Amino acid sequence: MDIAVADRLQFAFTIMFHYLFPIGTMGLAPFIAWFTWRGAKGDAEAAAAAAFWTKIFAINFAAGVVTGMPMEFQFGTNWAAFSAKTGGVIGQPLAMEGAFAFFLESIFLGILLYGKARVSPRAHAFAASMVCLGSWLSGFFIVATDAWMQHPVGYAVAAGGRIEMASLWAVLTSPFALWQYAHVMTAALLAGGFIVAGIGAYYLLSDRDHAIGRRFVRAGTIVGAICSVLVVFPTGDRNGNDIATYQPVKLAAMEGLFKSTKGAPLAIVGMPDTRDRSLLDPIFVPDLLSFLAYGNARANVDGLTAYATELWPPVEVTYYAYHVMVGLGTIFGAISGLALLLLLWGGRLYRARWLLWLVLLAMPFPYIANEAGWTVTEVGRQPWIVYGLMRTADGASPNVSGGETIFTLIGFAGMYFLLGVLFLYLTLREIGNGPAVAHE
Amino acid sequence: MNSLAFGILAFMLGTYVLLDGFDLGVAAIAPLIGRNGAEREAAMRAIGPFWNGNEVWLIAAAGALFALFPKAYASAFSGFYLPFVIVLWLLMFRGIAMELRGHFATRIWRDFWDVAFTGSSALLVLLFGVALGNLIRGVPLDANGYFTGSFGFLLNPYALLVGATAVAALALHGATFAAMRIAGAPGERAATLVPKLAAALLVGFLATSAATAAIRWHDLPAAWTAVLPVVALIALGLAVRYALLRRAGAAFAASSVFLAAVFVSAAATLYPMLLPGFGGAKGIGIFDAAPSTAALVSAVAAVAVGVGIVCLYGTLILLPQFRENVTVDLNP
Repeated sequence: MDIAVADRLQFAFTIMFHYLFPIGTMGLAPFIAWFTWRGAKGDAEAAAAAAFWTKIFAINFAAGVVTGMPMEFQFGTNWAAFSAKTGGVIGQPLAMEGAFAFFLESIFLGILLYGKARVSPRAHAFAASMVCLGSWLSGFFIVATDAWMQHPVGYAVAAGGRIEMASLWAVLTSPFALWQYAHVMTAALLAGGFIVAGIGAYYLLSDRDHAIGRRFVRAGTIVGAICSVLVVFPTGDRNGNDIATYQPVKLAAMEGLFKSTKGAPLAIVGMPDTRDRSLLDPIFVPDLLSFLAYGNARANVDGLTAYATELWPPVEVTYYAYHVMVGLGTIFGAISGLALLLLLWGGRLYRARWLLWLVLLAMPFPYIANEAGWTVTEVGRQPWIVYGLMRTADGASPNVSGGETIFTLIGFAGMYFLLGVLFLYLTLREIGNGPAVAHE
Repeated sequence: MNSLAFGILAFMLGTYVLLDGFDLGVAAIAPLIGRNGAEREAAMRAIGPFWNGNEVWLIAAAGALFALFPKAYASAFSGFYLPFVIVLWLLMFRGIAMELRGHFATRIWRDFWDVAFTGSSALLVLLFGVALGNLIRGVPLDANGYFTGSFGFLLNPYALLVGATAVAALALHGATFAAMRIAGAPGERAATLVPKLAAALLVGFLATSAATAAIRWHDLPAAWTAVLPVVALIALGLAVRYALLRRAGAAFAASSVFLAAVFVSAAATLYPMLLPGFGGAKGIGIFDAAPSTAALVSAVAAVAVGVGIVCLYGTLILLPQFRENVTVDLNP
């Protein structure tokens, strides 16, 4: 098998499995910080909620650390040419992630988990905020690294083609990175909101832990509803503008737009056919794509055929991943909007079993939307590993064979199966145990 | 600046060896000091609060290598492809074994995970030793600095000798730690194990030293490093003496000095190379592998701050926990 294809398969598998856990930690950390602060002020129910979510968080964190190690190793094992050439740039934000964010998160998680009896309530709440800061900072350094691969800035090309860091500040504060970060974090927080609301709905539907169940539903619904707006506007919108400006081929693949069009329509559904170079069975909204991408309904949007096919990303994967993300995002907006409405309407949400069922069953879908969004970002970046600077095929380790990578991919699959079973067992057990509210 | 970066990296890896060394060592000798499930569980609880934090040093060192010497990182990780991936699997499997063991109280379940835990830990130490051996011996590199040999090449007699010595050294380290931390029969057995392990280690240490001198005679490190093997031998003797006197804390300290001396000696042998070539191949040194000076300065600063934070954390949070002894739970 072609080595770069095998390496991409392994990276895709290991990163997608890994990312399931950061969604949980980044999405739940703000809830934990909030509940811990409330608990420190004497709210026993909030303290129980904080303790409950901290346990779930810790399981996610451990699984995230374990599956994060192969990510750090893979840059060197499978992408040695990429690492040797660009390590002067991407090595730094990645090392900063480890040195600052990851340590911050693990140190204060230790205090949060085991220090409640030893430190004051205020210090305990401070630790919760630091865990939140650590996990969000961690996400920032990772997204900044990825954003550099999408839209490289702040670098210089040295003798021998090596890429050197010219300005770390430029890499960390590039607007492309900041908007991508805002989008990624609101999406993670949306997932967190749906998880908290979903577990709350589970308790209400199971006729147990009513008071705290309502509290989960309320907190999760409010955050979920706000975030389902924020993922679209402004963060998703600004992300889209950046893609239109810097990665027009990716935009064309996302939208399944083959021919350059003035007043390009937005395809709601349809199946891209790369042989016929057309979108089969489409439903269009006229002019909308031009308007969304450039703020002008008559603007020209380049189609895929404006570029050589060797510059196309895998069109089908990019297209479907994007449409899955957007479609699910719309559904999230509908569910959480409706839930918020019934919540504000005298708490009717707590008695609307049909809607609680929807909230419960919606829980896995933000995970799918998050993964789909990253798929658009990464698959849509192809054939580049660093956009415009280095091709993915040139980044693979020249001294590792496709066979070796397939072997290790199979090994990772086996190991992750074991890990997945363990994760589900531990998490479901905590959910089954439920939050223990101290009765006074 | 490049030498400072080398020093930081060596410090991180050395700290990893000292810290994860004792929990890997305890795991490796767990069946020798624990005769039944409850006793082996005491061994696990002895390292319970530490092993995860200890492994963080390995992750951090790998990240620091990437930032400080990207070319060496790329070359070493792709060159040692299968061994490194197997190390990853073993690290994961070891964590899973520790976690899973406690969830069901049946004997067959615990026996299985005890063996899995000990086996994966011992194999990890062997692989780390093999990696160190190959670093000192040199690996075949092509003109671009990529490894051209096979997995079989890495399993040469010298590297296996270093691997076996590493197992003995960390088993000793683990035994002194277990003697210090575990009360009752397992701790006592660990203390009586120290002299036996030290004898095995002495043989391995002398053989490795002789073989290393034979391999590297043309490229000896600075003269002051000759004192390190002497320090190591004295520390080894003291570890045995303190173990016999049942002064377990002092024995653990002596064993730590032994490991540190050996590690510094290995790092000095390597310096200024990161990945020496084998058979006349040009290796990768600290000046070939680093990014531009400006980039290196900011990377060194970032890594140094991170290391400082962790050291602070280690002294404030983890050190006090050393004082609490683990006892065998008779009714698990």
